[in-house]
Amino acid sequence: MTEIEKTEGKKISPQALRRSFWNWFFWNGCSQQAESMLGMAFGQAMAPVVEDLYDTKEEKAAALKRHISLFNTEAQVGSICNGIVCGLEESNANGKCTPEVIESVKVALIGPTSAIGDSLWVGTIIPILLTLCMTISQVAASWAGPVVYMIVYPVGTCILSWKLFQLGYKGGLEGMQSMMASGKLDRLTTAMVLMGLIVVGALTASNVTCSIPFGIVGEVMDTASGEMIQTVLFDTNKVLDGFFPKLLPLLLTFFIYWLYTRKKWSPLAIMGLILVIAVALTAVQYLTGYADVQAVAAAAAAAAALSLAAA
Amino acid sequence: MDVLQMVLIALFIYLGSIGSIVGNTIGWYTLGRPLPAAFVVGLILGDVQTAMIVGLPLQVMYLGNVTPGGAVAWDLSYATYIGTAGAIVFGDGLDASALIGIATVFAGIGGLVGQLMWNFSYALNLPLNRVAQRYAEAGDTKHMWVPNALMGQAIGFLCRFVPAMIVLGGMTAASTQADFATMIPDYVTTCLTTFGGMMTALGMGILLSFLVKQNWYLVIFMAGFMLVTYFNLSMMGVAILAAIVAVVYYKSDTLKTAKGVE
Repeated sequence: MTEIEKTEGKKISPQALRRSFWNWFFWNGCSQQAESMLGMAFGQAMAPVVEDLYDTKEEKAAALKRHISLFNTEAQVGSICNGIVCGLEESNANGKCTPEVIESVKVALIGPTSAIGDSLWVGTIIPILLTLCMTISQVAASWAGPVVYMIVYPVGTCILSWKLFQLGYKGGLEGMQSMMASGKLDRLTTAMVLMGLIVVGALTASNVTCSIPFGIVGEVMDTASGEMIQTVLFDTNKVLDGFFPKLLPLLLTFFIYWLYTRKKWSPLAIMGLILVIAVALTAVQYLTGYADVQAVAAAAAAAAALSLAAA
Repeated sequence: MDVLQMVLIALFIYLGSIGSIVGNTIGWYTLGRPLPAAFVVGLILGDVQTAMIVGLPLQVMYLGNVTPGGAVAWDLSYATYIGTAGAIVFGDGLDASALIGIATVFAGIGGLVGQLMWNFSYALNLPLNRVAQRYAEAGDTKHMWVPNALMGQAIGFLCRFVPAMIVLGGMTAASTQADFATMIPDYVTTCLTTFGGMMTALGMGILLSFLVKQNWYLVIFMAGFMLVTYFNLSMMGVAILAAIVAVVYYKSDTLKTAKGVE
């Protein structure tokens, strides 16, 4: 038994791996700062593994020092990095890998895992799940949506995170590369993005509101009765909506998208601009007496409904 | 709000912020999202109904608020907890659109305080690197949690809990002074409603920036838009249709690649 262990070399115990994962899962964001980003959290996550693999104080110190250096990722999907690094440390402890390799792999993992995590998980899955839960709130009881989200999201993410951690540890860098090279991940990402785009389009249509409160009311001779009655001669929103329903909300969303991505405006600056536009539109509404236009339009609609009912 | 309610809300603001003790998955990405946050505030203040009236629009508004590369665009946790509490405390007897307007304003104030506090804790965390260095050089694997989970946590707690208590205390004090709901003029409510409706476009714009990799992707976004405006599909219907499109794309692309290999 001891002979087999010797030939196989050192191996991280399952307990140490689990401890390492939980350390990361719960405390990956505790000490974020500009110097090492998630470095200290990564160091804490690696501590049980280092304790397991190395015997002398010098070896442990060297290992810990390379893991508190700069590291950053989207932590939930990025648990695959922790898995890969655990695998590499194990090889290193058996003399099959060097610290230089571990350090360069860690740096190389930052880019792709953050990109996948941010755009696929945080930018697509979370908004879609939240949208579904909001729909649940609207069609069922209002408390149902948040309750479903509070159960499904953490549990689902925890399972995914643990699977990715194991995948990284067992498959190593080769496993991740072969997964990325097979095109499967690209395809999955594009499919998710398609889904996200459609949902965001629908959300925009049902939730963004924007209108130009301007109209003209005039007196027109009613041919049937010969009386002068008040009619809406012109209503900006009616004209625009007749052309393409919800045109203004759509244009506004495109405009903000353009400001944010092309002009690099910060969300705070855009918020300020929106506030200014809102004040301006409100001023227009009150100064031009848009309430009258709405009242006349409502009266006309009621009259039309009445005559329809009578007929 | 009584003291216990204030403490509970402030505690949840901390739990829902980045790097709290329950982790980002349960904290920032679950308790910190407006939908669950509004629900929690509703439970604490005993008015889930009102809380959800403002929770849904706030969630739509802030749907695009994610944290790319660690840069916090807007502190969601602060924004929604304060926003929802504000609507419940000040909006007694108001109609839905006015409630949402009040929630938007308080969410703005809360978000600003949260943003400030995040930058503050981001700076305060810097010296922790020296502590981590010291433990690492000693090869002390048993104490690597001290700079991260203990000290980082303590800084995070102080930067969230204390300012939240001050803001909530101020709100409670103000609400006992006068009945603000009746004092708000008509045009302010109108302006807030307009603002809220347009703010949603910001969330959508930020989400688009994640999804749109090439300009022509915007066409697919338009398709989703028209499913609602021309075909009157519900959100659930759109979501299911979108899932079908995703599956069909994935399968057809898989088949295409398989053929290409042959």
